[in-house]
Amino acid sequence: MFMSPNLNRAHDAISLRTAKGRKLLLKKIWQYKWIYLIMLLPGLAVTVLFRYLPLPGIALAFKTFKPVFGKTGLFGFLTASPWVGFTHFTRLFKESAFWVATGNTLYISLLKLIFGFPFPVILAIMINEMTLKKYKRVLQTVYTFPHFLSWVVLSGIILNLFGDSGVIKKVAVLFDPALQDGWNVLYNTAYFRTLLILSDMWKEGGWGTILYLAAITGIDPALNEAATIDGANRMQRILHITLPSIMDLVVIMFILQVGNMMNSNFDQIFNLYSAPVYKVADVIDTYVYRITFQSSTVMDYGFSTAVGLFKNVINFALLLAANYTSKAAGGDGIM
Amino acid sequence: MSKEKTLPAPRVRKENRINRFGVFDFILVTLLSILGLMIVYPFYNTILVSIVPQAEYVRQPFMLWPSSITWECYEFVFDSPLLLNSMWNSAKLTFVGTIYNMVLTVLMAYAFTKPIPGRNFFRFLMVFTMYFGGGLVPTYLLYKGLGLVGNFWVMVLPSGISVTYMLIVSSNMSSLPAELEESAQIDGATDVSILFRIILPLTLPILATFTLYYAVERWNEWYSAMLYLKDYEMWPLQLTLRQIISSANFISTQAMTGDIRPPTYGEGIKMACIVVTVFPLMALYPFLQRYFLTGLTLGAVKG
Repeated sequence: MFMSPNLNRAHDAISLRTAKGRKLLLKKIWQYKWIYLIMLLPGLAVTVLFRYLPLPGIALAFKTFKPVFGKTGLFGFLTASPWVGFTHFTRLFKESAFWVATGNTLYISLLKLIFGFPFPVILAIMINEMTLKKYKRVLQTVYTFPHFLSWVVLSGIILNLFGDSGVIKKVAVLFDPALQDGWNVLYNTAYFRTLLILSDMWKEGGWGTILYLAAITGIDPALNEAATIDGANRMQRILHITLPSIMDLVVIMFILQVGNMMNSNFDQIFNLYSAPVYKVADVIDTYVYRITFQSSTVMDYGFSTAVGLFKNVINFALLLAANYTSKAAGGDGIM
Repeated sequence: MSKEKTLPAPRVRKENRINRFGVFDFILVTLLSILGLMIVYPFYNTILVSIVPQAEYVRQPFMLWPSSITWECYEFVFDSPLLLNSMWNSAKLTFVGTIYNMVLTVLMAYAFTKPIPGRNFFRFLMVFTMYFGGGLVPTYLLYKGLGLVGNFWVMVLPSGISVTYMLIVSSNMSSLPAELEESAQIDGATDVSILFRIILPLTLPILATFTLYYAVERWNEWYSAMLYLKDYEMWPLQLTLRQIISSANFISTQAMTGDIRPPTYGEGIKMACIVVTVFPLMALYPFLQRYFLTGLTLGAVKG
C-alpha cells in the first residue's frame, strides 16, 4: 500500500521549478512519502508548540506587562501590554544586581574552564595508564555514576556533608577545636565558588573522561610499541603520543565549552546557593528566576523578559561562533 | 645458546615493559583509588546517616561502620502520604514521559533518514531550538495560556524530543546498509513494518541507551514542576526532596496530616529521602552501565 514501484526514479525527477514537477512532488508525497511526513509530524508539532510559540512572547521585553483575565487567546497578554521601547534595557544596564549576575556568570564559567576542563583530560589519561583491568572497570563505574544524579540529590548530600552537623566539620574539629563555633562553609562568600567548581568536577569529571578515553582507544598501538622499543618511558609516551593524539578533541571540547560561557549551571547554583552568597553566586539564570517569581516588589515580566533576551542573544552568538570555530577545527560542532 | 645469554637485553626496554607493576602504577592506582573513595564516601555517609539513631549521628565524628541500626527514618518515609504520593508521581512521570520521548524521537529520527521534501528545513527547525529559546517568562505565559499550569502534563508534554539524541539515533539508522531495507521492500514489507521489524531491532542497543537517558532525566525532573505546579500533591519526588532539604519544617508542617508522628531526626529523614530517590538508579547502574556509557561516544562518531 505504501510502496511505489519506481522508488528511485521518481525521487530523481522532481523539480519544484515546473508545474509538472510540483505536481509530481505532490504525487510523490501522496504515493509513498506521506507516511514519513506523518512520522515527522508529532515531533514537529510538539517542537513548534512548546519551543516556537513562546518566541512571540519575547516582544514583552519591549513592553510593559499588563495581566489579562478571561478568554483572550494565547497572546492576549501581548496585545494588552503597551510598547515601551528600550526602557527595560536602559534600566537593566543601570541595575547593579544585573552586572553582578553577569560578572558571576562569566567568572564561574571561567573558573570551570580553568579548573574543570583539564580535569577529565588528565583523569582519562590516568585511567588509560592503569593496568589492573577489573579494578579499572569498577572505578569507572564509580566515577561516572554521579553524572546521572540530579543537583537536588547532590545538593542534599553536600549540604549535609559541609553543614553544621556534617562529617567534614566533625573531622575538622578533631584537628582544630576552635572550628566548633562559627563553622560556616556553605554560606560563606569566600568558599562558595570553590564549592561550586569542586562539586562540578566531582559530578561531571568521570563522565567527561568517556569521550577522551574513546579517542585514546583509537590511537594506533603500533605508535606506543615503537616508542617503547625506542626507549621512551611512560611519561614520555603520554606527553608525545597520547596527548598529541587527543589534542584535536581537546581543542574542540574547549571551544564548545567557551561557547557555553553564558550558560551557567542553573540546577547546581539554584540548589546550593542562599541569600548570604548571592553576591558571588548569583548568575543571570538565577537572577531572572528570582526577579520573576520571588521578587518582593511588583512583578515586572517585561523586565525579566528583557534580561532573559539579553542573555539569550549573547548566548546564541557565542554558541554559533563556537560551533563555527569547532567545525573549522575539524569537529562536529554542537549538532 | 651461550652466546645469546651473554648478550643482555637493553636495560631501557626492560624498565618500560608494559606489564610490570612499578612505582608509577602504584602512585596511579593510589590516586585513582582516593578519587574513587571521594566519590563513594558521600553516598556511604548518606546511607549511614539515614540508618543510625540520632544520638549516634551527633556523637560519632567519622562513621565507617554503624554501631547500631534503626529503620525509623525509612519507616517514616514510607508512612508519609506526601512522599509515597511523590514516588508514585515520579514513577508515573518516568513511565509515561519516557514512552512519549522515545516514540517521538524514534519516529522523527527514522523520518529524517528518508528523502522527504523539506527535510533540511525541518532539521533546521529542530536544531535551532538547541541554540535559542523564548526564555523563562514567554514560556511561562504560553504554558499558562495552554492551560498547562497546575497540570500533570506540563512535566511530560513540553520536553518531547532531545534534538541531540534524535540526531544521533537518526545517523545510526541511516548508517545501516540500505540493502536491508531494499530487500525487505522487495519481499513486500510496508514502510511501517520495515521500521518495526528491521530498523528498530538493529538499533536496539542505541535505543536502550537513550531510553535510559530519557528515563533518568524524567526521574530527575523537578524544575518544570517547581515552575508550574503549586499543588505539592502533584510534585515528583525530586521536588518534594528539594523542599525537604531546603526548608527544615516542610515535612513536619505542610505534609503532616493526622496520625503520623512528627519526625525528630531531620538529617536522618533527609538522607533517607535521598537514598530512596537514588535507589532505583543505584540498583540498576552497575548492570546497565554498558548502555549508560555508550551514548556519548556514539555522539562523537556521528556523521
